[in-house]
Amino acid sequence: MIPLPANRLLCIALLIMVVPAAASGTAVTRALSTAEPGAGETFTVSLSIEGMALGGVVETLPAGYAFAGTDLPDDRVLVREQKIAFAVMNDTRITYSVRAPASGSGDITGRWEDFIGGTDGAVAASHVAVDGIETAAASGGADPAVREAGSPFAVLAAVAGILLAAYRGGRR
Amino acid sequence: MNRHFLLAVALLLIAATASAAGIPGDADGNGVLDQPEYTAAVLTYLVGEGDLTRTDIQDATWVLARWDGRPLEVTDSSGQTLTLSRPLRRVVTFTGESLETLRSLGFDMEKVVAVDKYSHAKSAFFPGFQEKANVGSIWSPDMERVLTLRPDAVFLYATISTAACDEIQQKLEASSPGTRVFRFDCFKPATYPGEIRAIAAATGCEDRGDEFVGFYESVMDGIRAGTADVPEDGKTRVYFEYWTDYKTFASGSGYNEKLEIAGGYNPFAGESAEYPEVDPEAVIVSNPEVVVKLTGQKLAAGGYAGHDIAALEATRSAILKRPGWTRLAAVADDRVHVVHSDILGGAQHFIGTAYLAKWFYPERFAGLDPNAIHQRYLTEFQGLDFNLASEGAFVYP
Repeated sequence: MIPLPANRLLCIALLIMVVPAAASGTAVTRALSTAEPGAGETFTVSLSIEGMALGGVVETLPAGYAFAGTDLPDDRVLVREQKIAFAVMNDTRITYSVRAPASGSGDITGRWEDFIGGTDGAVAASHVAVDGIETAAASGGADPAVREAGSPFAVLAAVAGILLAAYRGGRR
Repeated sequence: MNRHFLLAVALLLIAATASAAGIPGDADGNGVLDQPEYTAAVLTYLVGEGDLTRTDIQDATWVLARWDGRPLEVTDSSGQTLTLSRPLRRVVTFTGESLETLRSLGFDMEKVVAVDKYSHAKSAFFPGFQEKANVGSIWSPDMERVLTLRPDAVFLYATISTAACDEIQQKLEASSPGTRVFRFDCFKPATYPGEIRAIAAATGCEDRGDEFVGFYESVMDGIRAGTADVPEDGKTRVYFEYWTDYKTFASGSGYNEKLEIAGGYNPFAGESAEYPEVDPEAVIVSNPEVVVKLTGQKLAAGGYAGHDIAALEATRSAILKRPGWTRLAAVADDRVHVVHSDILGGAQHFIGTAYLAKWFYPERFAGLDPNAIHQRYLTEFQGLDFNLASEGAFVYP
């Protein structure tokens, strides 16, 4: 294997992460009615969806936070522990409610898939903390794929791994 | 063929057949995917439950969005009606004409997994296809390769080489029931617009199909309109010669259909053979007003490879030297032309027909620009970076 310059590898890694979502024209963003709910308070999460006729969004709530309802019909929502799946059918906005625990903080993460365009991507994480108090046990149910793709440490680790492999390959 | 290969093919076929069995997500198996079934399939997929893959969900989405949740029925040029439960993802073409038509329709060429050996060899017109699998020809097909590619559709001719195409179809139907075998010619003016629409429907390229049919018919209908009022006894007398000397064509052949659309009169149309060899003296006696000589295949001169106008010029010079030809009206009036089969025999026949019309009736078709039609076709519909001013050689003069 021929070793590549480190900056080129990093560019390739970033391109691989960014291009698929950027090229599709689909975008899903999340807004919270509050990022610091009170204990047991129900707050609203709004997903804005652009350019997706038929697709899906999966949201993953932090441990302790519970899904409390949505404006979508029941047959277009499925809840499995911390995961909430929404079937998107020409929707531009989906709103759902979340009940906060007595205490706890973490990230709401999400992924979307456009089944017509054949594209997918991550919804940027939104941090929540009951009464604004950070707890040691952060997000309890984050989607593993999102964690792998979204964590800067994971990216750095992946790039470092590639560089290490390239370096070792080049020495053979 | 060894046992391991046979086993592998059998397993692949079982997988292909299973995947082609019905509409993914049609939980009650009634052949229709309704919205509750679709959303249930999507939701279980999103949370990582159920058996459906991402491809299954994308196919279900296609069926719901484009086919209203029902299987699509497509009737091909052999009259058979084929039912599709999913969009086409793996296509094998045994004819260059169907491959070219798929490209005109904007079908994703990544989904063409193999082509015939002639298309495979045409690197100037089908660049990039040399990387794809080569399945031979309809007369010598590599069936093992076809089967291992697990195509969901195979394209064959409808009305020519029927025995060879029937044999391929029978083999596929016997060993790969999930494969749909489409029969289209894509070179006959009478059937091409309908074929474009049928293929467009099968591939989900309806809008592009309408656009391409519009372009095609604007050319062909313009030619038909331009010659509609030419009386039978006023039609231009044409001797059209195949790449073999003194071999011409009679009525019933595809070339004769194009000659007649362009308003030509073929003195040999009544011959019993479709492609008869005629007496040289009979050509002189017929005294054609226009002579058209075909190149390509058995008379290699011109085409998409290179820019060899001199080869076409040499072909023309050679036939002008034939004994007795100085007496022909066509020679005296300098109306002897050479045309390459690439633009008259296959899917591009409308370009060659435009040249014929212009040669037969230069005043009626003074505003017709076949070269511009050709360039637009290559650029807009074939998506080729091909400049006719400096590449290829198709007609002379």
